[in-house]
Amino acid sequence: MQIQKERYSLVRTVCNIYKTKKLIKVFLKYEDDKEGNKIISSVRITGDFFLYPEESLENLEVQLKGTRLGKDNLKKKIDKCLNNSEAFGFDSESLSDAILGCLHNQITK
Amino acid sequence: MNKIRLLETEHRSAYYNMALDQALMSTVGDSIPILRIYGWKPCAVSIGYFQSLKEEVDIKKCKKLGIDVVRRITGGGAVLHEHELTYSFITKGYPANIMESYELICEPVVMCLRNLGFNAQFSPLNDIDVDNKKVSGNAQTRRNNILLQHGTILLDVDVDKMFSVLNVPSEKMKDKIIQDVKARVMGLKKTFDEVASELQESFSRKFGAEIFRDDIKTDEEIEAKIFQKYKYSSDDWNYKR
Repeated sequence: MQIQKERYSLVRTVCNIYKTKKLIKVFLKYEDDKEGNKIISSVRITGDFFLYPEESLENLEVQLKGTRLGKDNLKKKIDKCLNNSEAFGFDSESLSDAILGCLHNQITK
Repeated sequence: MNKIRLLETEHRSAYYNMALDQALMSTVGDSIPILRIYGWKPCAVSIGYFQSLKEEVDIKKCKKLGIDVVRRITGGGAVLHEHELTYSFITKGYPANIMESYELICEPVVMCLRNLGFNAQFSPLNDIDVDNKKVSGNAQTRRNNILLQHGTILLDVDVDKMFSVLNVPSEKMKDKIIQDVKARVMGLKKTFDEVASELQESFSRKFGAEIFRDDIKTDEEIEAKIFQKYKYSSDDWNYKR
C-alpha cells in the first residue's frame, strides 16, 4: 500500500486482481473523510472483459470519484452508471467486490 | 445479404491490421459486408481495449524479439498473433442482441472447422473450441451502427513463447498457468491457405451470399494509413490505460 500526503488528507493507493468470469484489475486511490468514511479519489479498472458501449468504462471511472467505499453504495452507483450498457465478464456485484478487495490489498478469487 | 466483399490483405504489421479494420468500419456504409482475411508480420501481441499494456505485456521482451504490440478497439484479452489466420467481418446489418450477434458471426467459423474435419463448438460468449480446447477467440465492437467482429483461428501455438512476452498475475503460479493453457488451447495444424479457402466458403454458405474478391480501395488505404500513423502506432493509444 502506498501512502501519499496530498493536500491535507492522506490518499492511499491500492490495487486488486479479481477473478470472476473474466479478470478485473483495479487501481484505487482513496482517502478518509472527516467521519472516517473511505472515499474514492480515483479508480482505474482494467481487464479482459467486454463492455458495450466501450466508453461506458471511462464514464464509470469518472462517476465513481467521490463515492463512499461500501458494498451497497458501490453496487447502486455502478448499476446506475451502467444502466444503458451491457457488460460481459462482470456485473455490479463482482465489480464492487473487486474494488472493495483493494482495501485488503490482496489477490481475491 | 446477397454478396460479401472478400479482402485478402496478406501478412502485415499489427498497426496496419488494426488501422485497416477501423478504416473499413468507416467506409463500409450501406455497402455490402466485408470479410477480410489476414495474418501478422512481424508477429505481434494485441491487447483488449480495456487492458493496460504495461500490466499485460513484457514490452522490453517484445522489443528484443521484434514483436509488435498494439491495443485493439475491441475488448477481451491479450493475444500473441503468430501462427494463425485472422478474420474480420464488418457489416451494417446485425442482431441488436450482442450474444446473438457473436453466435451468428462465429457460426461460419464453426462450419469452416467442421468442414476441415474438426469437432468444433461455439462456446459463449466469444470462443470456439475443438474437443473442449480453444482454437478461436473473437471480439466485437459496434460504432455508428456498424459492427466489426474479428477473430483468430489458431494454426499452431507456442504457449511458452506466449508467456515469455505476456505478464501473469502471479509469478509463483506461472508454471501452473502455462500448463493449464497448454491443456486448454490447440492449433489446427492446417495451412493458412487451407483454412482461408474453407472460411470463405463457409461465410458464403452460412449467409447465402456470393463472395466476390476485391482489393482495398484508394480511400480505404489512405484512411488506414492515417489510423496507422496517428492512432495505432502512437503511445497515446497503446498506453491509454
